[in-house]
Amino acid sequence: MSDPKIPPVEALSPASRAWGEIGPRSDHPRWGMVVDQERCIGCWSCAVICKSENDVPLGMWWNRILTEGEALDQPMATEAGGLEMHWLPLACQHCENAPCVKVCPVQATYHRSDGIVLQDSDRCIGCRYCMIACPYGVRNFNWGVPARPTPNETGMVHARPLGTVEKCTMCVQRLADDQVPSCVWSCPTGARVFGDHNDSGGRMTTLIREREGAMLLEEAGTRPAVRYLPPRRRNPL
Amino acid sequence: MSAAATPAITSATGSMHRGPLVAWFALLLALIAVGISAFAYQFANGLSVTGMRNTVMWGQYILFFMFFVGLSAGGLIVASAGRLFGIKAFKPITRLAVLEATVAVMLAATFILPDLGRPERILNIPLYFNPTSPMVWDIGIVMIYMALSAAYVWLYARADLAERGSWLAFGTGTSERAIARDERIKGAMAWVALPAAILLHSITAWIFGLQIGRGFWYSSIMAPMFIASALVSGLGLVILLALLLRRLGRLAFNDDLVALLGGLLGTFVVVEAFFTLAEYLTATYPGAPEGRAAARMLSGPYLPLFLFEVGVGLGIPFLILAIRRLRQRPAMVALAAGIGIIGIWVHRLNLVLNGLSFPNIELPPGLPIGMKQTGSSFAESYWYVPTAIEWLIVIGILSFGALLFTLAVLYLPMQEPEAH
Repeated sequence: MSDPKIPPVEALSPASRAWGEIGPRSDHPRWGMVVDQERCIGCWSCAVICKSENDVPLGMWWNRILTEGEALDQPMATEAGGLEMHWLPLACQHCENAPCVKVCPVQATYHRSDGIVLQDSDRCIGCRYCMIACPYGVRNFNWGVPARPTPNETGMVHARPLGTVEKCTMCVQRLADDQVPSCVWSCPTGARVFGDHNDSGGRMTTLIREREGAMLLEEAGTRPAVRYLPPRRRNPL
Repeated sequence: MSAAATPAITSATGSMHRGPLVAWFALLLALIAVGISAFAYQFANGLSVTGMRNTVMWGQYILFFMFFVGLSAGGLIVASAGRLFGIKAFKPITRLAVLEATVAVMLAATFILPDLGRPERILNIPLYFNPTSPMVWDIGIVMIYMALSAAYVWLYARADLAERGSWLAFGTGTSERAIARDERIKGAMAWVALPAAILLHSITAWIFGLQIGRGFWYSSIMAPMFIASALVSGLGLVILLALLLRRLGRLAFNDDLVALLGGLLGTFVVVEAFFTLAEYLTATYPGAPEGRAAARMLSGPYLPLFLFEVGVGLGIPFLILAIRRLRQRPAMVALAAGIGIIGIWVHRLNLVLNGLSFPNIELPPGLPIGMKQTGSSFAESYWYVPTAIEWLIVIGILSFGALLFTLAVLYLPMQEPEAH
């Protein structure tokens, strides 16, 4: 397939380019992200821009926002009788001990040297064992011919073929241009910080250290590259 | 069993009525054609034509895959254990059990194909196989086991075929030395076949049981429970087929054997029930989050299916087989075997449905379904129902199995001689 698209970074204004630039890193970066649940306002901006950046068809979401409560628009009641509302933005956790990479029969899902878990759509046989193995439910299967709101492909990457699995790539096409993933630069509250786990002085690693960044489903032993900063306003139980 | 008590065996084409046989073949071929057409339709339109979605991403095909692996392993475990431990009474059904195991494992392998989103890329498995994938281990053991059981079928029939002058004997003779060599090879093969059959179904269990992301499956009892359920369904099918072939005059044995096999089946049912109790007690007793999935089986939407699995699938066969007077009636043993097989199928269904319907992170709006549709594209839980296409493909594959089995029964001598 020839690539008719303008390279993303060239389409940006110098100011936008500077806004999205990845900061300092170590010699051997292991990319990751921290999501501040205190800052997240549940606006779904990151989920929507992910769809357009990566050409994610209707009915599929690489990135979605879960509400910590009974329903999408219902706050959670605390034991003290107060009401709270927090969100859990959820996409591929890019696990170091990734269950999907372990079980894929044809090595179609694999680790890049920078720790990012990718999916080879040309090799995938569509057995969906990776979706079984993933504890987070972030993988999508192309059940039918992808449906789009517009007749043309959108986004900065090619659409994935029928009968294969796809998921968040941490916007590898943007990383190649030294730009942070689209969910990061687009967050209106700056709740997402992208960085290098091997750079101990970086903003992301400092936040994880100082605010005790947590791993989602830590008991599964997957060692995700994505961490969550718990809201400090939360009332003690 | 004395020779006098043995009714005469009809020859392959002798007293069989041609009319019904032709109709049977025509029906099977028609159903196979329907199944192939349904598969072609699914291939063209993607797995969207099935009831599976991102939430319950494995369904009917995987269910039948593990069901048939179980039927196969169960049949061969009984046959090879009988050989290995010198249980002479099992002799009349040995060939049947080996044949059943062979056809069942071929069907299991076939069921993998429609489950793939890109079946045309199946050769990627040998080309790029991942040694840490339990699915690769399973496909490996299925291939080894298929070759082994097919060789076993041929070895058992070889001397009889040679005597008849059939080309299927591949030029081998019937001298006493050849027969003695057959016996040695058969004895040696039982040593390989028994562990291979146990490994076959254990590895199938580990496809599920090694996944920490699926709380309902992540248990060390999965492999033992799969073996127990394989024994129930596999022996059950062997009993049903043996009684069918006896009625058709292709196999001879007396009712004592049916009662003996019935008693054995009853034992397997008890073992399966015991494992089920141990599993649910261990999972639910602490009341901890880890036992959530098992607790949901006992209280959630699939409770009626669980009650069927245990109450009907295990309870009724146990009651029938535990009572000696009932066990001595072949019709009752057949009934117990039939209900037992259906119960094990429902057990597999429960594994898939309860294991997959609820995501780990139970927060709204849940998982993306994966398809454009009216209303929300998310679901917090999902009720999987197979579509007509899935059933047509399943019926096509089952008919293929029935065709293979019928042909084998027509052309291979099924009765093991008494003398050896």
